[in-house]
Amino acid sequence: MKITINSKEIECQSDKTILEVAKENNIEIPTLCYQEGFEARAVCRICMVEIDNKLLPSCSTKVKDGMIINTESKKVLEARKINTELLMSKHKKAYFGESKEHELFKIAKDVGIRQVRFNNNKKVYIVDKGIAIITDNNKCILCGRCVQACQMQNVSAIDFAYRSYHTKVTPAYENKLDDSVCVNCGQCLLACPVNAIYEKDDTKDVLKVLKSKKHVIVQTAPSVRASLGEEFDLPAGTLVTGKMVSSLRKLGFKKVFDTQFGADLTIMEEAAELIERLKENKNLPMITSCCPGWIKYIEHFYPELLNHVSTCKSPHDMFGAIAKSYYKDKYKINKKDLVVVSIMPCTAKKFEIQRKEMKKEVDYVLTTRELARLIKIKKIKFNNLADGDFDSALGLSSGAGTIFGASGGVMEAALRTAYETVTGKKLEMLEFNQIRGMSDFKEGSIVINGKTINFAVVNGLGNAREVLEQIKNKKCKYDFIEVMACPGGCIAGGGQPIPTNKEIVQKRMQALYLNDKNNTIRRSHENPAIINLYKEFLGRPLSKKSHKLLHTSYIKRGT
Amino acid sequence: MKILQNSNFRALSKIAEMKPEEIIEIIKKSGLSGRGGANFPTGLKLEFTRNSQGEKYVIANADEGEPGTFKDKLILEKNPNNIIEGMIIAGHAIGSNKGYLYLRGEYSYLKNKLQQVINNAKKISDKLKIYFDIEIISGAGAYVCGDETAIIESIEGKRGNPRIKPPFPANKGLFNNPTLINNVETLANIPLIILDKNWNNNLRLFSLSGNVTKPGVYELELGTSLKELIELGKPENKIKAVYFGCADGCIPYEDIKLDYEAIKEKGAMLGSCAIIAVDEKQDIVDVTTNIAKFFEYESCGKCTPCREGTMRILELLEKISLKKAAKKDLELLEELCRVISATSLCGLGQSSTVHLTTALRYFKKEFRDKLK
Repeated sequence: MKITINSKEIECQSDKTILEVAKENNIEIPTLCYQEGFEARAVCRICMVEIDNKLLPSCSTKVKDGMIINTESKKVLEARKINTELLMSKHKKAYFGESKEHELFKIAKDVGIRQVRFNNNKKVYIVDKGIAIITDNNKCILCGRCVQACQMQNVSAIDFAYRSYHTKVTPAYENKLDDSVCVNCGQCLLACPVNAIYEKDDTKDVLKVLKSKKHVIVQTAPSVRASLGEEFDLPAGTLVTGKMVSSLRKLGFKKVFDTQFGADLTIMEEAAELIERLKENKNLPMITSCCPGWIKYIEHFYPELLNHVSTCKSPHDMFGAIAKSYYKDKYKINKKDLVVVSIMPCTAKKFEIQRKEMKKEVDYVLTTRELARLIKIKKIKFNNLADGDFDSALGLSSGAGTIFGASGGVMEAALRTAYETVTGKKLEMLEFNQIRGMSDFKEGSIVINGKTINFAVVNGLGNAREVLEQIKNKKCKYDFIEVMACPGGCIAGGGQPIPTNKEIVQKRMQALYLNDKNNTIRRSHENPAIINLYKEFLGRPLSKKSHKLLHTSYIKRGT
Repeated sequence: MKILQNSNFRALSKIAEMKPEEIIEIIKKSGLSGRGGANFPTGLKLEFTRNSQGEKYVIANADEGEPGTFKDKLILEKNPNNIIEGMIIAGHAIGSNKGYLYLRGEYSYLKNKLQQVINNAKKISDKLKIYFDIEIISGAGAYVCGDETAIIESIEGKRGNPRIKPPFPANKGLFNNPTLINNVETLANIPLIILDKNWNNNLRLFSLSGNVTKPGVYELELGTSLKELIELGKPENKIKAVYFGCADGCIPYEDIKLDYEAIKEKGAMLGSCAIIAVDEKQDIVDVTTNIAKFFEYESCGKCTPCREGTMRILELLEKISLKKAAKKDLELLEELCRVISATSLCGLGQSSTVHLTTALRYFKKEFRDKLK
């Protein structure tokens, strides 16, 4: 069918919205509350277009044959300007050093607002400073994108309360976020167009400790190398491992290590745990435990199923435990002087290191965005840096460790090791393509010594609930399940550069798989540093020492 | 009053033998239209809902919240039977067996009485083999819950916020199923129409209040002169303006016919037939500010123009009252009015500025006189 936008005739499909058709035809309509993949709420009233003398929201209005649409009429421009101005007056204009473009400011600039004619917001709110996530209602413009993101995660920790201009987004009973069911995944923060939600900034503390005489070491998560470049205007999917290492060295870290070493270690323990559970036919299906958002989710919503969760600590915490035992002793560092910093794609990791089960093995977690901020503060010319290498011992890793950053990666890495240790045979084909990619639910099976192992990979907590219901109702056919809280895995984590959208996430994912492919070591159990660690220190997977250092327990939180 | 004639389930017995299409035809022919203010033909609404697929619901909108409107309260108090009977007949016509009566929070003192009527009706309808259950849901005092989609959200247990239309309730309403929502007065008319072929559909219940000594509900025909109604109220002073509720604007007092077209021509709306008389001792800026306070307080907070705009309108009006405003503030006020009415998400937001636009149209001098 045909419609007309700004006097231009356009052929289009009938089930689309005006906004979708406009986008396809490179006609720009500014939006604020709209986010791709979600039902349009149509509340910001910025994307209004004129049809038959009436203004309608383009995000929720479907096209009709013969429709004549004007996206730039006098009426439209007046409405867009006033509604933007109204939101500007609501938004406290304090700026937090964020990496993204501020969507409201961008629109304000585009519609030509030079001065807001209304007074500042009448309401003053107390900023909720959480362990991992900070919410500032003084900046909130009530677009509802965070609420939608939280609903998508099936957590619904936040929603609207009150009415009129007293309306605000808050956890139930106006509790603090830390006292709610929030799992700190940070998807709300990625969704927020005005930086009203942001990570707890630890850059100051890290700068301070770097200046001190302490022995500060750093580890970087797999997915950070595939996204950090975006903060320095490199295209999404650029691997910047070498520059990242160099920049960390320049920042003054004594040693730059790799969380992928911790990931390889996790695989050794987790594969052994799986083999044991399969042998004893106990606590199956086993579910992965790398993701702190996921762990808090199951602790809140399905505490009765906690026995299914692997007891392995997450890779960076395993690294921390090894650093503060093996590394500390080997290099004769005073316990008080050793500081471990993790660079993570994740806000939930900030919460994780504060868990009492973790015994302060990691001292600080910085997100990808915070690391970029540090580099910028220190005026390091990132793009001009020469490539550096990770320090030895705890910096050597396999390709299996790399793919931890993408949904399906932990499963694939674990299967590589489990298969080869049990059968003693080499896998001909290392790639498990059925569990790669952006799909939110993936499954497959593998035969190990005549026994078929069924496995599933879930990302996004909304999808995790379905699998948990299956387990609860004893209808689950899987033996091993990987769960990641964020849609796509850590590459879409709450600590990643903004914007993080499907297209960008896909590119980051491709980069990680390419990195794995190009690695000479692709199996965790073939990592010489890991082999050495077991020989010198741990003995074997699931040994007494391993249990003490590398495994953890969970608590029942409830809702 | 004719609307208070108790039909006493005689209409229900009569329709028990009828086909649903016949009932819809009678209502269509009668010319009955929505009395909540929108004046939409009821017969058509019934037909649309009947033709939709899925389990169907009937909702009686008893969330009378428009300032100056209190005619539904009168029917709920004096003749609840007709409302319930009307619901069952409407349900039968569209093929539904579940209804909800959404009762304004402030009217909850009527709940027990209404429940008795419902229980009694259930016995009678069951005997007639018309199976229809009615549940009373109490509102919590939000003006926006008079909007049909906000009622639906509220009954579903959610925050009382309006939905985007389309889809309309007739297609996707309560629990995403086809839903018929009618005002109390509309429903109360249905049994009377069934019983009386010559039922006068031009009768309206006018809620008269403001600067009159005899406020109350008056049943008059459409087309009656405004003067006649105001004189029934026996005002003490000369009347300057009348407001049609708060949402439907104001006009200077003159001898105008009370019908939909005549008032629309003046830039206001007859709406739910609420007439608030304002005499010459009143200051229109004060009246306007007072109404603006209402809209600011009652905005549900969902969309930008209504939530932020109504607050800014009040702010500007208060500035004018304090004689601190300049000409550009008045211009900004007019700009806000245009944008709020053109871009608000629901009818309540869209109509929240009509009172101000009409006041500025007819009484601009009073505003200008207060500029600094």
